[in-house]
Parts: sequence; structure tokens; C-alpha cells
Amino acid sequence: MDATLPVQMVLGALLGLSVYLPLATGQLSLATPGFYVIGGYVAALLSTGVAALGGGEPSYPLPSLLLEMGLAALLAAAVAVVIGRPVLKLRGIYLAIATIALVEILRVLNLNLPFTGGAVGIFAIPQPFADPWGYLLLSALLLAAVCWLCARLGAMRLGRAQAAVRDDELAAACMGIDTAQVKLTAFVISAVIAALTGVISAHFLNTWNARQGSFDASITTLAFVVFGGSRTWVGPVLGGLVLTALPELLRPVGDLRLIVYGLVILAGPVVFPQGVITPERLQHWARHRPWRRPSPRAGA
Amino acid sequence: MPTIPRLARGLLVAGVMTLLSACRSGGSGAGPIDATGGVPVGAVIALTGNSSVIGQDQKIGLELAERHFAGSGAPPAAKGVKVKLRLEDGGSDEQTATNAFRTLINGGVAALIGPSLSQQAFAVDPIAQRAGVPVVGPSNTAVGIPQIGSFISRVSAPVSVVAPLSIGAALRQNPAIRRVAVFYAHDDAYSTSESKIFQQALQRRGLQPVTVQRTNVSDTDFQNQVTDTLRLKPELIVISALPMDGGNLVRQIRELGYGGAIVVGNGMNSPNIYPICQKYCDGLLIAQAYSPETTAAINQTFLSLYRQARGGAVPPQFSAQAFTAYQVVFESLQRLQAAQPPGKPLTALPAAELRRRLNSEILAGRYDTPLGPIRFTPEGEVVQERFYVAQVRMNGDGRSGRFQLLP
Repeated sequence: MDATLPVQMVLGALLGLSVYLPLATGQLSLATPGFYVIGGYVAALLSTGVAALGGGEPSYPLPSLLLEMGLAALLAAAVAVVIGRPVLKLRGIYLAIATIALVEILRVLNLNLPFTGGAVGIFAIPQPFADPWGYLLLSALLLAAVCWLCARLGAMRLGRAQAAVRDDELAAACMGIDTAQVKLTAFVISAVIAALTGVISAHFLNTWNARQGSFDASITTLAFVVFGGSRTWVGPVLGGLVLTALPELLRPVGDLRLIVYGLVILAGPVVFPQGVITPERLQHWARHRPWRRPSPRAGA
Repeated sequence: MPTIPRLARGLLVAGVMTLLSACRSGGSGAGPIDATGGVPVGAVIALTGNSSVIGQDQKIGLELAERHFAGSGAPPAAKGVKVKLRLEDGGSDEQTATNAFRTLINGGVAALIGPSLSQQAFAVDPIAQRAGVPVVGPSNTAVGIPQIGSFISRVSAPVSVVAPLSIGAALRQNPAIRRVAVFYAHDDAYSTSESKIFQQALQRRGLQPVTVQRTNVSDTDFQNQVTDTLRLKPELIVISALPMDGGNLVRQIRELGYGGAIVVGNGMNSPNIYPICQKYCDGLLIAQAYSPETTAAINQTFLSLYRQARGGAVPPQFSAQAFTAYQVVFESLQRLQAAQPPGKPLTALPAAELRRRLNSEILAGRYDTPLGPIRFTPEGEVVQERFYVAQVRMNGDGRSGRFQLLP
């Protein structure tokens, strides 16, 4: 059994959720790959550069990995707070452009900073797990935690404030919601998720370089949300899982696989303009439960 | 809405099941490999993405090698071992190559050829190393590839050996050159490391670049950088880039009036640059690890196979190296089979043992290939006798041309 593709699918779902959170607050932020790359570099630099963390051992210690995740989360959150304050004053397409610029600035910095390894990047990143199953477990736990958070948000003040800001920012402000704070919180949580995903990815890929966070990556992660649906957290998860898996599952198709993949991405928004998963569709499915045969209740 | 969380849980379960279904079963290495139809050998090359032009050359080389060694032209000893080539697209990024490597390793291949790019090799070679599957790199020239592990070797000579030769050729053509400009794609691993080697070679000859310009692989417009450079009146321009961006760069340099010598790196070592820089490709100097003019029998065979397949064209280096990589794996398997006691086929060995022996055999062997006679250091670095420098000569139509070797 090989868990490589499932690991990549789960990482895709996590990145989808990272794009979803600001979007659920009405903010089209494409900064996710920027924070993803920050997380990856933290992991790559610490694990290859700090001997005390145990990079020389046959199996990279799990506590060191968790430490990297903690530091990456802190760094990403700090960057998100500093950048988020001015940038989140922008709206719509202007915010999108500003966040694309952020990703691009980080890419150029990473190519030119003295300690990031230039275009080759950092390689020979030590492995905490002997096979992809360990990565699958760790990333699935992280995904479960983020999904739980997203599901809980609906019942929390922050989640309801997010929905209010998304639907009408002016009205939300009039209701006494600190819209700037709500937007910034969502942006910071999104950055932390992306950075944590980056840490796992860097170890999983063995190597890390500036190409991991490019404009292309911004568009790919946005496609996860557009395809899956941006009105419930289930959508980006499904989008991330499906769109990451599809090019690999289509390998038997041969040379046509990327054409079929492109057609699926194209067909998704045409057939489902709101994304494959919408709250209405979820409710409809919940009522009809197409996967369950109608049967008399036991003991009734 | 109490149903939604319940539904979400259902979806989560469904998601987990999808994940599990995506886990494909594969060989653990304890049992023998499945050799139905031949010993499976995997190849992961860039058939999509910005390096697909390299992958196309490699695909032809591998297919010709497979046909040649499986067909009547195979040496008699080969009759014992049939090889089944499994070609997978490794894309031009790390993730796609990782999936392709894993797919093939779990599919139970005896050895792997690939990936196309050094950057991908840093990501996927450790996976093969951990799985104990021998890898022969057909085109990874960056520093540090064979050092990834004991199962990693390459038939592509490192950039540090090959690149400086073309600078020497340019200076032989015009010993008066003093002013050199350097361009390189600073977001590409290969181009960056090659440019370092170029700049060191220039310094050894006492030439300090008048400017070093950084470009991006995805750039198409170089007008500003070229104008700035030409103002400095260079007599030689040295470019490390991939075919798409490099071809456009050459074109714009010539269009803006530069008439001096241009040396380009291995990233542009393919006739696939002809359609990009067209008539402006004429005169480019490129160091070569392969010469179509070698008279060795294996090269003549490769040459005629390539000409048959491609309407008389001359094979590029990437095709010759891919052919060589296949040949190395194939001949090693043959020798292993020949060393087996009678009645004990190679394929009866446990997969892990077969792969281990194959790796030792690959590293120990000597090969007469289209690249000339080659062998490996114990580390897996190729030892090749001769290198060449070619100059591109375009035909009058500006669409076709050839790589003419310099004496």
C-alpha cells in the first residue's frame, strides 16, 4: 500500500481550507502559497541546519517536527499580522493583486537570500517517518483539526461575524462587529494552516525551493475552492482532495490526462457555478440520504 | 441544522474511504518481482511542463533503445532477459515526479531511469534510495546528485566538467574577447548552478563579466535587460537557461543588434530550440556530451535508428543519454542473468536482492555506448572520455538546422 497520493490530497485539502477561511470573510486572498513556503523554509532550514534537532539521526525526532510546526505557525502568524493590517484594507480584486504581489516578493526573496539555497533550494531534508503512512496520519490529524475548527466556527461568534462581514461589511460594522479584527483573524488562521502544511510538505518532498510558492500555486489553490465551493468548508476539502488526485488517477489515460483534467476544472464551475458543495445541496442530501437504503428503524 | 454536522461526518468518512482507495498496493521487496512480459524498468521523464522539450528528446531515446535491445539487433546474451519499459510522465515539478516514482516503485520495477531535472532528482532520488531501487539519471547534471545515495548514478556528465569547454571554444574562435556578459535563469536550479561554473571558468581565464543578468524561466520579454547589456558592448554573451526562455532571449539579443559570439548551456542543448530562436539560433556554441560523428558501432546503430524514426534528423544529446541510460540498465541485467547458476532465473530472486545486485552491477560495469565508452565511480558518477563543442548552423529556411561539431 502506498500513501503518497493520499498525503498530497490531504495537503491539497489543507491549502484549500487556507484559501477558504479569508474567503468566508469575503476576502479574496491568494497569499496561501506565500505562507506555505514560509512554513516549508522554516522546516527545511531548522532540520538541515540545527544539529541539536536531530537531523543527523536515522529518523528525524517527532518532537523536533512539532517544534518546527510551532515556530512556523508563530512566524507565519507574525508575518500575517504585520502584512494583514494594511493589506486587508483593500477589497476584492485589489486584495487579490496585493496578495499575489506578496507571494511574488517572497519568491524573489527566497531566490536571493543567502541562506535559502537560491534556485536549488534546500535538499536532503531529514525524514521523521519511514514511509508515507506517517505523513498521512499527521496530515490527516491536522486536516481533522482544521475541519473541526471550521465546523465549530458556524456556532462561534467569530464564524457568525465572518458570515456577516462576507454578506455585508457595512451592515456588520453597524452591528458593532470589529470588521478589521475579524478579517485579520481569518487571515492569520489561514496563514497558520498554510505554514503548518508547508512544514509537512517540506519533509515529505525531501527538498524545498522557491518554486513551491509561485503564482501558479496561488491559482491552483484558488481552483480547489472554486471547484469545491466556497460557502461551506466541505467544498474546499473536496476540491483539494479531488483536484490533487485527479491528474494522478488519470495516468492510465496517457497523454490526454492533462486535457481531461483541464476539462474537469472547466466543467466544474460551468455545471456547478457555486461549487460542487453548497449548504443547500448538503441539506438536500442530508434529507434524502441517497447513500442509505430506507429501512424501518430498529426497535420502532 | 443538526443534520449538517452529521452529514459532514458522513462526508469525512467518505473522504477517508476515498483516501484509502487511492492507496495502491505495491511490492514490498520480499517476494520476487512480477516479470511477466519482461523485467519491469521504469522511466520518469518530463513530458509536460516547461521542460517537456527535454522529455520529448528523452522519450525518443528510450523508445529506440527499447526497440533496439528487444529486437533482432540485441546481442545474443540478451535472449535470457527481456526488459519491459514503463514510461511515466514526471512533469516539470517535484510533486508529479514524486507520484511517478512512487507509482513505479510500488509497481515493482527493478530499476528507474529519470527524472529529467536535477531539481526533481533532489526530491525523488531519496525515495528510491530508501526503497533500495537503483536510479540511473539520464540528464541530471547538477552538483551533488550521485551523492544522494548508494543507489543513485547518472550517465550525464556533471555540469562542472562539460560547461567550461564551450567558453574555451569561443575564445579559440576569437582570442581578442575581453568583455563578457552573463545571463541566467535565476529561478531554475540547473541554470543557476551551470552559470556559477561558467563564471568560474571565465574568471580562470581572467575574464570578469561586465554584467550578470538574472532572468526567470517564465520570462518572455528581455528587451530591458538586453538593451542594458548591449550598452556595455560585450564581445561574448554566456546564457544558462531552458529552451523556451533561452530561445527567446537569444532571439531578442540578435534582434537588438548583437553580432558577437553566444555560448549557451546544456538546458538549450536540443534541436527543439530551432522553432523558438529560428534563424537567430545560428552560431550558438554549446558543449556536448554526445557526438553524432563517433564511428563506434553502437553509435552508428543509434544514429540509423534515430534517422529512420525522425526522417533523417541528427539525434540530440538528451536522446543519446536516454538511450545510454537504458543500455546501462539492460546490459547490467544481462550480465547478472549470465552469472546466475543454470536453472535459476534472475527473476526468481527476491525483489530487494535483485535490485541490490543490479545496482552493484550497474556501478561495476563498463559500457560501450553512443556517448562513447563509459563507466561509473563507486559513488555513481559517470566517467566519460570525450566531450565536444558544437556550433548551431541554421538552414536558409530558418526552421531547421544542425549541431556542427567544432574540431
